[in-house]
Amino acid sequence: MNMKRRDFLKLSATGVATIILSSKLPGLGVTNAYAADQTLEVFITDALKDMVTHNEINTAQCYFWIYRMKANGVDVPPDCPGPTIMALKGDTIQIKIKNELDEDHSFFIPGLFDSGVIPAGQTYEGTLTASVSGSHLYYDRLNAPVNRVMGLHGALVVRPTAPAPGLNNKITPYDNPSTHVQSLFNEFGSSDCWPGLAWEQAGAGTPPTADENAYLTGNSYAPPFRTYVWLTHQASPRLFAEVGDYTAGLDYPAQQFVEKFLRSPFSATRQNYNPEYFTINGQSGFFSHFSPSITPMGRIGEPCVVHILNAGLWTHSMHLHANHFFVTGLNGVSNENPIWVDVYTVKPMDRIDYTIPFMRPPSIPCARSIGMPDAPLLTAGGNPVYPPVQEFDVYMPALGTTAFAENGVTPVELGQRMSPLCYPMHDHSEPSQTAQGGNYNCGLISGMYVLGDRNTPGQMNFPMDEDFSMMYRNTRGIGGVAGESGTHPAPGPRPEPA
Amino acid sequence: MSFSNPAHTITRWSVVGMEGMWVKMFDPPKETPATPDLMLPTNPVPEVLAAAGFQLAPAVPHTVVLELMHGVRLDTWDRRNKGMEFFLFQNPDSLGVTGDEYPSATMRLPQGVIFHCTTDGKGPPPHTIHWHGLEPTPMNDGVGHCSMELGHYTYQWQAQFMGTYFAHCHRNTMQHFEFGLFFLLLIDPKDAYFATMYNPATPIGHCRDGRRRTAANLEAFPQFTSFNANPITAADPWTGDPRLKFDTDPHAHTVAYDIEALWVLDDRDSVWSDLADDPRATYPMHGTRPGFDDNFRFNGQNSPAAPDDFFAFNDFNADYWYITGVPVETQKGGTATIAAGIKIPAALNSGVSGSQVSISALVGQTILVRCLCAAYNSTEMTFPMDVVVIAWDGRALGVAPFGHNHAYLVPAGTPIVQSTARRLDLLIRVTSPVDSFATVKFINTRGQLPGVAQEVVCTARIPLKIAKAVPTGTISINGGAAVTNVQSVTLTLSASSAAGAVTQMQFSKDGGVNYFAFEPFATTRTVTLLPGDGLKSMTVRFRDSAGNLSLPISDSITLASGSILINGGAAITNSRSATLTLSTALAGVTQMQFSKNGTFWYAWEGYVTTRSVTLTSAPGEADGVKTIHVRFRNGSGTVTAPISDNIILDTTKPTGTIAFSSPNPTGSASGTLALTASDANGVTHMQFSKNGSGFYAWEPFAAGRTVTLAPGLNTLTVRFKDAAGNVSTPISATVFRG
Repeated sequence: MNMKRRDFLKLSATGVATIILSSKLPGLGVTNAYAADQTLEVFITDALKDMVTHNEINTAQCYFWIYRMKANGVDVPPDCPGPTIMALKGDTIQIKIKNELDEDHSFFIPGLFDSGVIPAGQTYEGTLTASVSGSHLYYDRLNAPVNRVMGLHGALVVRPTAPAPGLNNKITPYDNPSTHVQSLFNEFGSSDCWPGLAWEQAGAGTPPTADENAYLTGNSYAPPFRTYVWLTHQASPRLFAEVGDYTAGLDYPAQQFVEKFLRSPFSATRQNYNPEYFTINGQSGFFSHFSPSITPMGRIGEPCVVHILNAGLWTHSMHLHANHFFVTGLNGVSNENPIWVDVYTVKPMDRIDYTIPFMRPPSIPCARSIGMPDAPLLTAGGNPVYPPVQEFDVYMPALGTTAFAENGVTPVELGQRMSPLCYPMHDHSEPSQTAQGGNYNCGLISGMYVLGDRNTPGQMNFPMDEDFSMMYRNTRGIGGVAGESGTHPAPGPRPEPA
Repeated sequence: MSFSNPAHTITRWSVVGMEGMWVKMFDPPKETPATPDLMLPTNPVPEVLAAAGFQLAPAVPHTVVLELMHGVRLDTWDRRNKGMEFFLFQNPDSLGVTGDEYPSATMRLPQGVIFHCTTDGKGPPPHTIHWHGLEPTPMNDGVGHCSMELGHYTYQWQAQFMGTYFAHCHRNTMQHFEFGLFFLLLIDPKDAYFATMYNPATPIGHCRDGRRRTAANLEAFPQFTSFNANPITAADPWTGDPRLKFDTDPHAHTVAYDIEALWVLDDRDSVWSDLADDPRATYPMHGTRPGFDDNFRFNGQNSPAAPDDFFAFNDFNADYWYITGVPVETQKGGTATIAAGIKIPAALNSGVSGSQVSISALVGQTILVRCLCAAYNSTEMTFPMDVVVIAWDGRALGVAPFGHNHAYLVPAGTPIVQSTARRLDLLIRVTSPVDSFATVKFINTRGQLPGVAQEVVCTARIPLKIAKAVPTGTISINGGAAVTNVQSVTLTLSASSAAGAVTQMQFSKDGGVNYFAFEPFATTRTVTLLPGDGLKSMTVRFRDSAGNLSLPISDSITLASGSILINGGAAITNSRSATLTLSTALAGVTQMQFSKNGTFWYAWEGYVTTRSVTLTSAPGEADGVKTIHVRFRNGSGTVTAPISDNIILDTTKPTGTIAFSSPNPTGSASGTLALTASDANGVTHMQFSKNGSGFYAWEPFAAGRTVTLAPGLNTLTVRFKDAAGNVSTPISATVFRG
C-alpha cells in the first residue's frame, strides 16, 4: 500500500517566509505569513544551510550570513534570503536591528531606509516606512558586495493602496504607472484577449473550507493576491566558508572576494571559488519549481506580477514558458515601453517586474490563430483540443512506477499526471541550471502552472492529483483541511509521522 | 560565529508525499507516448520543399521529421588540435545538406497551421525539443521534467504570432544547447508557403502578393511604406485564388521587407568541448528512497562519477565566438570582422533564398535583421545608422489588442542589449550609401554591476554594405517607330528599382540638359516633340520611392512633316482628273508612292511637287469621296508614314422645276417664278434666259424670283448648277401679259 500523501500535509515545501508589514494587506492567500504590525526585530546572524542536492549520501551545504527576523515577537524561521516583507504604501513599523556577527553590518533599502553602520553586538532602532511602491532589495551595503552576497539581503514589496488617478483605472504595482502599463492593467479582465480577473481582483466563490475537494469542483474563488517575488542569488560554498572563517572583526577584502567569486581559474572538479548553487528565494530546482509561493499557479484569466531582484553578481536571462510576459517595471520605474517577451535580462542589483497575463497558452490550436481565446480546433476524432482532456489523463511516468519511502520498504508512487499544466521558468544563461556543477534542473528555476481556466465553461479547474493538491493548498490555503492549512517550511529531510 | 560554528542550521525541505514530482525534476522519464488530443497536420512546408527539391516527399503528409542528436567534431578557425564538438539536429528527409552544418537548418512555417514534428531521440541520451517562444500544452512544450523525454513522439502546436523563435533540446540544456543542439525557428505570415504551393511561380517564403512580410506596427515610421495597418482581426480582403484566402487578413499589421539577415550570436567553451563531450555528463539519478539517497554524482545510466570526473557546468568561459556559424576569428579579448557577402543557402533556410549574414543591400531597401542571442555571454549590438526595433521574442511591438508598447528607434551607436535566448527583430532603411559594420560585443555575464566596467570578451563586426540603388527602365516613342510626321507622339515607359517602387519620372527634350518637373510614373504618356523637322529625342529619368534616380534613358524619332492636296485642297470636283500638290520635309527625298485605298500601293515614282491623277480606280466607278494616299522615301530607305487627302467626286447634273406662281394671263409688268432643284451635294446656283436670249449671269439659287414681263407671251428658261460645277438641262415656263 502506498502511503496516503495527505498524511504528510504539513511537511511539504513552501517558500521563503513572508512577513506582512501591516495587517491591512488583503487576501494574501499565503498561509505561512507572519504579521508584523507592531514590531519587526532583525538579527544579523549566520547559518549553515542544506542546499538542493543535500541528502544522506551527498553533502551539499553552504554557509550564509542572514537577516533573521521576529514579527510581533514571533520567530520567523531563519533562511537566506531574509523574509519577504509585503507592505501597503504608507505602512510604518518600528524596526530593531541587532548585529550578532563580529564585524560591522547594516540594513539598507535605497531610497527608503539606512541603518548606517551597526557595530558588532550593537542594536539599531528606527522606523521603516513603506513610502515607495514597487519592489525593493534590503541588504547590507557595507564592504560591498561581500556582506550582501554572503546572504544579507531580502525583498520588500510595497503595493499602492489605490489605482492611479483616472476614471476606470485599475490598480497597478506602481505609484506612477506609465500610459502603456496603466492601459495594460486596465485591459486585464475586461478585454477580448484577456477575459477573467484584473490583477489583484478576487474571484467570486467560496474561500477555502475544510473540504479539500471544494477547490476541485468548479469553485471560482481566487485569492486577490497575485504578487510574487523571485529574488535570485548565487552561492559559493568554498568562498562563503572562507569569509565565515576570516579573522574575527576584520572585513574580508572586497576586491579579493569579487575576484574569487567571478574569476576563479577553471577547475573541472570545482576546486575553486565559483558559485555552485543558484537560487530563487533561497531555493533551487524542485524546491523553487514546486513552491506555490515562488511559482505562480493560477487559472487562465488570473494575471499576476512577479518582482525579480538580483542580489548576486551574475547576469540571468530568465525565460518563462507558457506565456509571454510584459516587462512592466525596470529598477523602480514603471516601464514606458513594456515589451512583451518570453525572456529578459536581469543584471546584478536589477529590479525587473514580469507581468504575466495568464492567457491560454497561445500555441494550443484555435480558430483564427491570432492569439485570441477563440474556439479550440478539433482533434482528428472531433473533440476540442482545449482543454486538453486527453493530456490531462496521461501519466509520465506511468502510474505504478514506484520507489521506496525512507524506510526502504514502503512503496511510494512516482507516476505523475499531466494535469494541472506544468511549465518552467528558468535562467537561459544555463550555467545557473546546475547544482554542484551538474545535476541539470537543480538550479535557478521556477515555473508557471495553469490550474484551470476561468473562461472555459465547466473547466474552471483542471484535474489535480493528491500530491500536487497537497503542495498547492498548503501554501495558498485553498481547500486545505481545517486547522492544518497553514504550514511552515518543512523541518528537514526526515518526515514526521502523521 | 563562523562557518564552523553557525548560529543556525537550515535544513533542506522534505519531499515526502511528493516523491514523484521530486524525482521527475532531475530524472525525467523517457517515454514514447502517442500525441494526446491529436489533430490532422496542415503544415505545407514539407510538401513545398519536396516540390522544390529540398527534401524527400514527406512520409507522413504535412509532417516534419527531426532526429537528435548528431555529434560531430568541427574545425575551429585556428585549427585547434581537438576542434570543437558540436551536437546537431538532423532532418533525415533533407536534400542538399550534409547534416554537419552548424547552426542546424533554420525551420520556417506559416502562422496558423497545425504543425507536427515527429522526433526520435537518437544518440546516447534522451532528448526533447522545446519550441522556444511557442506556447503549447506541456507534452508539446518539450521540457522533460514537465512532461517526458524521448523516445519517439510527434509534437503538435499552432503558431499564432509571426516572428523569430528558436528550438532546442531541453535535456541537460546547459550542455546540449551550448554544444549547438538548437535551430532558428521563424514564423512567416499565414499565406507564406501556401502562396508557393498554389502558384509555383511565387518564390518560397514570399506571400501571395509576391513580397516577404513580418509582423510590425510602423504607424510612427512612415518611411516603411509597405506597412499594412489593418487590425489583426480584420477580414481578409483577398479576391484572388480562394485557397489563399484566410479568416483574417494575413498581412494585417505586417511590413514587407526586401532583405533578411539572420544573426545567431553564439559562443563556445573549448574546455567544455574537450572535457565534457559526453552528452550524458553529470546526469543525476534518483535513489531507491527518493529524497534520501538520490545520486547527484552520476554520469548517466549505470555510470557513477569518478572523483576527478568533470562536474563544472556552472563554470562557462567562452573562447570561441560565431555569427550564424561563421567564426569570429579572434582570441579572447580581440576584435574581428566576418567576411562580406555571406548568404545562407536555401537548403538550410526552409527553401528561402538569399537570406544574409553579412548585409549587402541597396539604399531604400527595407532590411529585416533577426537576431538570436544563443550565447551564454550577454551581447551589446550597435549599428552605424538609426534602426527601428519592431519585435522582441516573436511579439511585434504595438500590435493591438496585445501591444501595450510600441516600435522604437534606436539611434546610431546606441547599444542594444541581449542575453541568452532573447530575439530581436529590427528594420534598417537608409537614404544614402553605407559601407560600415554592425558591432557585436560579447560580454561576460559575471560582474555586470552598475558602475563597473563590463568585461568585453570578444568584439565581432558584421559588414553592412548598402549601395546606392539605380532604378532602370525603358522608353520608346510611338512603339519604336523611326519616323513620324506629326509632333504629337506616344511614349511607352517601364521602370523598376531594387529599392522599392518607381514612383516618379521626368522628361527632357534637349537630350538631358533641361528637365521638366517630376511627375507621377506612368507607363504611357503623350508628348509633343519640339517643332521643326529632323531627329527628335525624348529623355527620361525615373525616381524610386527611396529617392534613387536612374541614369537618363532616351529614344529618338525622325519628325518628317509632309502634305498632299487634291486640287489645291478643294472639297469637291466634277472631274475624275485632278491635280495633286505634294511636299515633304523628309531629308533627301527621292521617291513617292501612291495608293487609292491605303492598301494597294502603286509603284514608286520620282518625287515631284505636282502631279495629275485620276480619282477613280476603275471605269464606271460611282461618285463619292475619293482619297489619295502618298508616302515618301529617301535615298537611305527611310519611309514616311502615309498621308492622304480626299475630295468629293460629283459628276451628276442637278434636276429641278420651274413655274409661274403669279396670275397667267396677267396685266402686270412683273411676274413671280417658283423654283425647285435637287442634287446629291446641293444646288448652289441658277441662271436664266428670257425669250431665247442668252443666259444671264449665275446667281445664287433661290426658291422664288421676280422677273419683268414684256407685253405678249414671255418664256423664262432656267438651269441649275451644283457645288461640283455640274449644270442641269435647261427647263422653261411661259406667261401671257395682256
